[in-house]
Amino acid sequence: MPREAEPSLNEKAFFLQALQDGHRLDGRKFEQFRQLDLQFGDQYGVADVTLGKTRVLAKVSAEVTVPYPDRPFDGIFTITTELSPMASPAFEVNRPTEQEVLLSRLLEKTVRRSNALDTESLCLIAGQKVWSIRVDLHVLSHDGNLMDASCLAVVAALRHFRKPDTSMEGETLTIYTPAEREPVPLSWLHTPLCITFSFYGDEGEMTLVDTTLLEEQLKVSSCTISLNKHGEICQVAKLGGTPVDAVSLVQCASIALQKVKELSTLLDQKLAEDSKRRNKGGLLAELSAENAR
Amino acid sequence: MPITILPPSVAQEPTRSLYQDGSQSDSDSDGGVDLDGDVSMGRPTKRARRDEAIVTPGEVITEDPQWMRGHGTYTIPEPPQIISSVAGTLSKTNKLLSVRPLRARYTPEIGDLVVGRIVEVQARRWRVDVGAALLAQLPLSAINLPGGIQRRRTETDELQIRTFFSEGELLVAEVQQLYNDGAAVLHTRSLKYGKLRNGVFMAVTGTGGGGGVVRARRQAFTLDISSSGAEGGEKIDVILGVNGYIWISKHIEGEGAAAESSGPGITRIEESVGLNVYSSQNDSIPLDTMREIARTRGVITALVENGLRVDEEMVTKGYQEAVEMARGEGEGDDSLWLGGEKGKRLADALVGR
Amino acid sequence: MPLDTSTYNLALLRVDGRRWNDLRRLHGQIRTQAAADGSSYLEMGNTKVMCVVTGPSESARRGGAGGGAGGPAASSSSSTATTPNGAEIAVTIVTGGFSTVDRKKRSRTDKRVQELQAGVAKALAGALHAHLYPRSTIAVSLHVLSQDGSLLACLVNASTLALVDAGVPMTDYLVACTAGSTSGHGAGDEGADPLLDLNGQEEQELPFLTLGTLGATDRVALLVCESRVQVGRLEGMMAVAADGCGHIRAALDRIVRDKGAQMVREGAIAKGESIGMDLD
Repeated sequence: MPREAEPSLNEKAFFLQALQDGHRLDGRKFEQFRQLDLQFGDQYGVADVTLGKTRVLAKVSAEVTVPYPDRPFDGIFTITTELSPMASPAFEVNRPTEQEVLLSRLLEKTVRRSNALDTESLCLIAGQKVWSIRVDLHVLSHDGNLMDASCLAVVAALRHFRKPDTSMEGETLTIYTPAEREPVPLSWLHTPLCITFSFYGDEGEMTLVDTTLLEEQLKVSSCTISLNKHGEICQVAKLGGTPVDAVSLVQCASIALQKVKELSTLLDQKLAEDSKRRNKGGLLAELSAENAR
Repeated sequence: MPITILPPSVAQEPTRSLYQDGSQSDSDSDGGVDLDGDVSMGRPTKRARRDEAIVTPGEVITEDPQWMRGHGTYTIPEPPQIISSVAGTLSKTNKLLSVRPLRARYTPEIGDLVVGRIVEVQARRWRVDVGAALLAQLPLSAINLPGGIQRRRTETDELQIRTFFSEGELLVAEVQQLYNDGAAVLHTRSLKYGKLRNGVFMAVTGTGGGGGVVRARRQAFTLDISSSGAEGGEKIDVILGVNGYIWISKHIEGEGAAAESSGPGITRIEESVGLNVYSSQNDSIPLDTMREIARTRGVITALVENGLRVDEEMVTKGYQEAVEMARGEGEGDDSLWLGGEKGKRLADALVGR
Repeated sequence: MPLDTSTYNLALLRVDGRRWNDLRRLHGQIRTQAAADGSSYLEMGNTKVMCVVTGPSESARRGGAGGGAGGPAASSSSSTATTPNGAEIAVTIVTGGFSTVDRKKRSRTDKRVQELQAGVAKALAGALHAHLYPRSTIAVSLHVLSQDGSLLACLVNASTLALVDAGVPMTDYLVACTAGSTSGHGAGDEGADPLLDLNGQEEQELPFLTLGTLGATDRVALLVCESRVQVGRLEGMMAVAADGCGHIRAALDRIVRDKGAQMVREGAIAKGESIGMDLD
């Protein structure tokens, strides 16, 4: 398994010295994100997040399937992650690295377990037909902070996605093509996003957000906090590493809340822009199935 | 030790009263389990220790700056403290403080006699499992050649390296040198050392505590088995490797590990190093000897199971005791079973309790 | 949801009769397996875990083509954490099919199990002095016999005990404990109490987190929360869990000391020398 080249020793010393003096290599503040760009594709449910040189793409697709027998009223919702060798030589196809496992667990806990998507609303006929929503996440370029970028991409793609409208008349289920009826958005309950903090120094006393690959390799431990803009924590994961003072973790949580609020605002704004772009001349309102007829 | 099934009595339950605010604290005092034995919070600092007390990881041993830290401890600069990093007993050598762990893997030291097993053959050396954290090395240049010839090792020797030792074979050797990372380099350049055959291997805990083999004056000795009624003249050799690996075998006059202590002078050794030192073939062993080898093995197992140290004195005494026990119970010489209750009795008899 | 919270408000007693700050019964043993380098058995309430430590021993995985049949198989089922120039810590968790009420087969490649393994391995890597054992592997094998909440905490505590038994140097005991909160994720409930050491039923219903600290300090090595909870409640829950960790550390320490004292009494190890007195 090829490994990512580790930073040289004096590079590390230089970096840590700079941190001690309050500088990051790219001149950002400790709690500052890189340039964040979020773009939606022409299709519904495609989100492309660029965070500095890190780039991830999420694509949502939907199909009608049979529900799991133990959960007849719930739709199926899966997130798959793909860390291909394209992003970094350390990734291999068909052999999930620990990073990939942890990433998919994080998304699972953040988006799925926190009930961000109302899976009951995906049910068409109890026990027989449900929507299966699948998110495919591709990492196109890896320059650190995959967690935050991926989470944002998945959430943005899901909120952007429109599934075909359906109707039930007696026993007949009709699924309309986009030409017949305008597709409808998913039933979305809240918007969880995650922020990753990396700790540096012997005692983990310095905290950075949105680390680049180099910074990520030099961290002594990290903590990922997922929450929504209402201040509800969905998930916290600090898996090992150098022990960090409890007080600084609590501080991280409040910083995370503030960051998540900023990100949510950005996401809302981008979604609004996108729907405005699509809704040329107010056609959407006319096509919508919810129109009063 | 197996897991014991506990009676359903309630063990001491660590309760806690952390905030002494009104309602909580009085509800705590009336019904809660009151613990006088609850251990104080925080790093347990120096306290009056009883004789049998040990130190545990994270325990501050001393704040006095005149001590130096040894194995099993670490220091923090602020405030200057020496803290234990393992659970074990404290030992002092002048101003050096170290903690001997209750139990640990074998840590090689120069001069240790070890029993090892070849796990890998490389171009000009063997890699030997001696029960340490890393495999030990035995260079081709550190063995005796058959016939006792002294010469440079040639390419021919390299090519036939497997004729000396090959994978899975056992040997007794001495630690000659240590690398920085703690890996040992062995040598067998003495008649005491070399390939092992005609016996049984057993592994117990090595030096590092918790019973097992301890470093002693003599690690290899010959046991007289005539008292057990075996045919006269037969003896068995016992090699107690410091690493906890033990070899018990038939004694061959002028050969084997105990030879040096009882054997002939150095000049005769040169001649007597036959070509069969690297033979892997067992000689024929009389049944009586085999039985006594098995009995010795049982004695050592019983010693270890009952937490006693394994050294020459204990094994010799234990062996005699076992012979007596077998005879006393009228089960005949063939009763070799020394487990469970019987092993406990043997151990009790040895330490006089 | 209502089962726990409704009764709790009336009597301030939890489903199993504990108060908010009671730990469950903790029982542990070390040196349960004679053949292993270190072993332990730990019960926290009805969560029962066995741990076996092998090593430090020469790393099985070697650079190059040498990897035999054993190598890749071992590495795919265990999660490893490496320390720079130090030992590799490989953790394997095996969950007995009988450990839960509904017998469920959980494969070793389950992502949830892998995450647990990674969490334990990385937390241990931060606590152990692995730099003393370069080029070697410390294999920690954990067997879950029974699950009733606080599983991760129990796994961490059991592996700490087994590593102490194996004589692997560490900075301090790595201990973990769970803490929950009596209300759901709703924002309004100000009177929510923190709860210590949740059992399986409470874990199903209440938000909780698992906190691992190094010794009885505030230094957090492990923090895992998988349920929705208000951000403001985090601090209270962490404080309670940290306090619980202190008590668990004391309990583990007691187990080790008892064993040590017993060994000294039986003469298996030489008595320790006391410090002080004859200093000058």
